Amino acid sequence: MEEPKIELDDLEVNQERLKQNTIQLKNLRVYGSLNAGIIAGILGMDGWIGIGIYVAIFLIVSACLAIKMNFKVKEYFKSSYDAYYSGIGTDLLLFLMIWVIFHNLVNIL
Amino acid sequence: MSDILIDDRIRDWVFLPIIIVMFMIQMFRGLLTKYMDNRKTAQKVTSKAQVAEMIDKNITQQSQRLARLHGLLPDQSFKMKRAYLCDHEQGILTKASQKPAKDPMQSMSMMNPVAMADMLKQNLSGIVFMALQYQWVSYFFSGFVIGKVPFPLTQKFRTMLQRGVDVQNLDVRYISSISIYFVLLFGGLQKIQQLMFGDDTDEFVDDTQMQMQMQMMGMPTMPSFGQQNDPGKLFIAERTRLEGVKHTFELNKSSDKALKSLKRFLIQ
Repeated sequence: MEEPKIELDDLEVNQERLKQNTIQLKNLRVYGSLNAGIIAGILGMDGWIGIGIYVAIFLIVSACLAIKMNFKVKEYFKSSYDAYYSGIGTDLLLFLMIWVIFHNLVNIL
Repeated sequence: MSDILIDDRIRDWVFLPIIIVMFMIQMFRGLLTKYMDNRKTAQKVTSKAQVAEMIDKNITQQSQRLARLHGLLPDQSFKMKRAYLCDHEQGILTKASQKPAKDPMQSMSMMNPVAMADMLKQNLSGIVFMALQYQWVSYFFSGFVIGKVPFPLTQKFRTMLQRGVDVQNLDVRYISSISIYFVLLFGGLQKIQQLMFGDDTDEFVDDTQMQMQMQMMGMPTMPSFGQQNDPGKLFIAERTRLEGVKHTFELNKSSDKALKSLKRFLIQ
């Protein structure tokens, strides 16, 4: 990931690098929720445990991101909330879809 | 409630085909819009109404830019620019806001054939495919149970998830094929497509998803958002906004800022 030079200034426009970083983060989250769906589906998890797996894998992905950034969130993203926690709802539908598909493929059909 | 055993053939001939077909239609839609975008030529401004529209749009853009970036201008320049726009008798914004409200029929730009073609293209690559897939799935694959959702649901979902299956006591977790269609539709095959195709399809994809959701909520989508029936109000709002701007030239603060960022840089 590239390092954006964000200055704490209301006039300053964030560079293209921030956009690249967020695109990478979005891709990463999609991979994460895909994997979470596959795991939840194959293991036959039920109900709330499945959603717990999604949250757990989401947090694991955020933790790996933190390690990769050497914990200096401000250099790569606007805020730590943005980088770690913000997108949890948007990929939930994707997770549900993959979970339903794999659960059916492996356990039922 | 004992578990229902579902035939292998349902998986081979129903479940997987629905997924594969929907995914392929999604990719086909992406390619189709790319193709149509490549063939779009630049619109020529032909009619006088369009010229007036462009002028209004440019005026609002100019005033918004001024309101946003005022810190880059020294005091005198900012005052001059603001006076050009907001002056009581001669300012552009005051003159524009005194124009009569446009005829709502004309301002819809449905009369404009190019915009109409645009709308048709968007509809085609969005709604038509959705309706087509729905018809296909509900015609061929209705009347039986196709799978099970992993989470427990209340009885209220029964009508939505078990369309066509009329067994009353069946567990709500068993779903019919149309619900797989909905899960796939909302779940975001688009995101997987984005993963595979990179960020070219970024802007388009967001657009149709948003458009689909808006049409489902019953709101009409206008292809051009700036078309309001009363542009006078818009200009008055812009004018009040500009007049309320507290202007400071950023250069005055720049030495402090440079000190701050130098300190930050040296500390690291």
